[in-house]
Amino acid sequence: MVVEIQINNSSSAGARYLTWAPSPCRIRVTNPAGVPAPIVNLRISSTSAAGGGRVMVRERPTDAWANTILLHVPTNGTSVRFFTAGRFGSPSRNDRDVTIEARRGNTVVGSVRVMVRIRKNANALTSGERDRLVAAFAQLNNQGMGRFADFRDMHTAVSSSQAHGAKGFLPWHRAYLLDLERELQNIDASIALPYWRFDQPSPNIFTSQFFGVSDAMGTVSFSPTNPLQFWVTDGVPGINRRPFFNTANAPPGLRTEAQTIALGAVYPAFRTMEGNPHGSAHVSFGGVISSVPTAARDPLFFLLHCNVDRLWAKWQLQNGRFNPAVAASYDAAAAPIGHNLPDTMWPWNGVTGGTRPPTAPGGAMASSPCATAPGGQPQVQQMLDYHGSLNAASRMGFDYDDVAF
Amino acid sequence: MAKKRRVVKRSKSAKRKARAGVPTQSARAALAVATSPRNTVKERVAAMSAATLAVCDDDQGLQTMLNLLRDRDEPIKVRLAALASIQAASFSVVAFESCRSDYIATLRAVMTDPDPELRQRVLGLLAREKDAAAGKRLIDGLENPAKALVPPEKALQLLGYDPHADVYKIARRMVEKPPNEAARREALRLLAADANSKGVFEKILRDKTEAPEYRRISASALHAIAPDALQKLAREIVLDSSESEDVQATSLTAISQFGDEAKVSGDEALLKRVTRLKTAPSAKVKQTAKRLLTKYGR
Repeated sequence: MVVEIQINNSSSAGARYLTWAPSPCRIRVTNPAGVPAPIVNLRISSTSAAGGGRVMVRERPTDAWANTILLHVPTNGTSVRFFTAGRFGSPSRNDRDVTIEARRGNTVVGSVRVMVRIRKNANALTSGERDRLVAAFAQLNNQGMGRFADFRDMHTAVSSSQAHGAKGFLPWHRAYLLDLERELQNIDASIALPYWRFDQPSPNIFTSQFFGVSDAMGTVSFSPTNPLQFWVTDGVPGINRRPFFNTANAPPGLRTEAQTIALGAVYPAFRTMEGNPHGSAHVSFGGVISSVPTAARDPLFFLLHCNVDRLWAKWQLQNGRFNPAVAASYDAAAAPIGHNLPDTMWPWNGVTGGTRPPTAPGGAMASSPCATAPGGQPQVQQMLDYHGSLNAASRMGFDYDDVAF
Repeated sequence: MAKKRRVVKRSKSAKRKARAGVPTQSARAALAVATSPRNTVKERVAAMSAATLAVCDDDQGLQTMLNLLRDRDEPIKVRLAALASIQAASFSVVAFESCRSDYIATLRAVMTDPDPELRQRVLGLLAREKDAAAGKRLIDGLENPAKALVPPEKALQLLGYDPHADVYKIARRMVEKPPNEAARREALRLLAADANSKGVFEKILRDKTEAPEYRRISASALHAIAPDALQKLAREIVLDSSESEDVQATSLTAISQFGDEAKVSGDEALLKRVTRLKTAPSAKVKQTAKRLLTKYGR
């Protein structure tokens, strides 16, 4: 007999990526040969490569997670639902380094290889994870004329009011990172955007193999093996980034993670992190990353913002702030369009002119084979429940290594 | 010196924000500490990062910081910290927009400051805003070193934020007759935005007497302005057993990452050579050769 296992309710190999949030799965018998009974008992379990990711399974949403479950699957081809999720603390290191198996007795009758794809601390990536990331970034940039040009054009002085200086700062950047991450995944599905934990020393990020080494003038150099040596933005090759701190240490004067999360349990208090640590992290360098109109020209920008988003996610978890209907999760005060809960966000909504910028680069939010949320034209309110804590359908397909479901 | 506590009168806006939970009061207190000469330099610098929110809270906060930035009698560490705090506030653009013209005017006033670090940072900010006045001062300094506000290599780097024909002309001259090695390097980087400089880069990339650093910059430049020319030269470099390992690794990276897959997979001479390079003594060449072969299933 043969069975098919669908991850994220899809037969597509591109959907075989998990986070800490439950992923809906299905199993069905595709060839019942050798099984005369109408129902067959199948045990679902997993095996992991050494140091690889680990997963958990359960039959119903309310069941406890387990290493194995027993499913009663009809042999007529009708599928049976179950759920799987990455085990918190055990993300994958390589693409599809976990195998989910279905066994009848001791015989494996079906299996799929999956990855627990999680956003990690960039300073702690393996060399393989690092190299895949820079290769995907370089491909996305592709002579400054690849899809990255849209991301560069989304974050400019003209469009800044859509993304900064008001309560939509955090939701907008969450959508921005997700869109970029999905485009990177279209190049290499194993990529999860890592974060630069700017309140901790991160010497492994500022190397010639990764995000480059700055000279005294701020000209960044790369190893001959690093494809980021071909980085081009605005028609100009290279990156200028002059750290005002020793890159073996963290920049001084930035709020720590604990201080940031302690800013307050209500959103208006927490979002003041837009100044420190966010703004302070940007200006801990000279060069493109330190000015709004040019900041997105430096790929480090996305790691910095990934940490900003991680801090928000951690604050959300600690304070239970995933529900936009709960006042403390957001800010009820009047704000410009694009910053209020029901507003759609530029540029994904395609709206131009008037109170929006004159152009909307990039089109709709990239889709993912792993999750349907937040859709092509996300609203501010959709960005809060990012891993489906309240509503499983809100799950966007990303998680952080130190923020549990 | 003992820290002096000040009672800060709160505006209506501050009261509104305080009700909403925004810690405006602490930011204003930090601003008071940061701007008071009664406090030590260390205390003032430490307070600056916490004062960012107050910078745009009202016009007074910004003006206080801009005055401090302009004031040559203030300690330079305090002025640099004030600049960083204003910059951090600029990332909150909705609030900052109303202050932008004063901000730019102050930066223009400070770009000729006697302190070289402050001057350089301010010129960098103006260059990234594509400020014409700053651009003119940078070009003037390259034409007449006596007027230079920053070293030529820094001026070239900053002019790269808004490259145009006048700047390319100077950069070409600097490539031929550079005042120093760093200036030549930055001139090359700047020219990499100029499609008319393709010949310059082809010549340098071919020239084995040029330093590998310049040849690698030339490879990056060609990738931007003439990618087909880079792929052709990269292939020649990989096939040449007398080539520099750094330039060869860069060439392998270019082919592996950006080469035409149909062309590369059908190029038996190239793939045979890369297979040999898989066991090259250079770790960089070995790594890039392996990566290319893996991509092409070899």
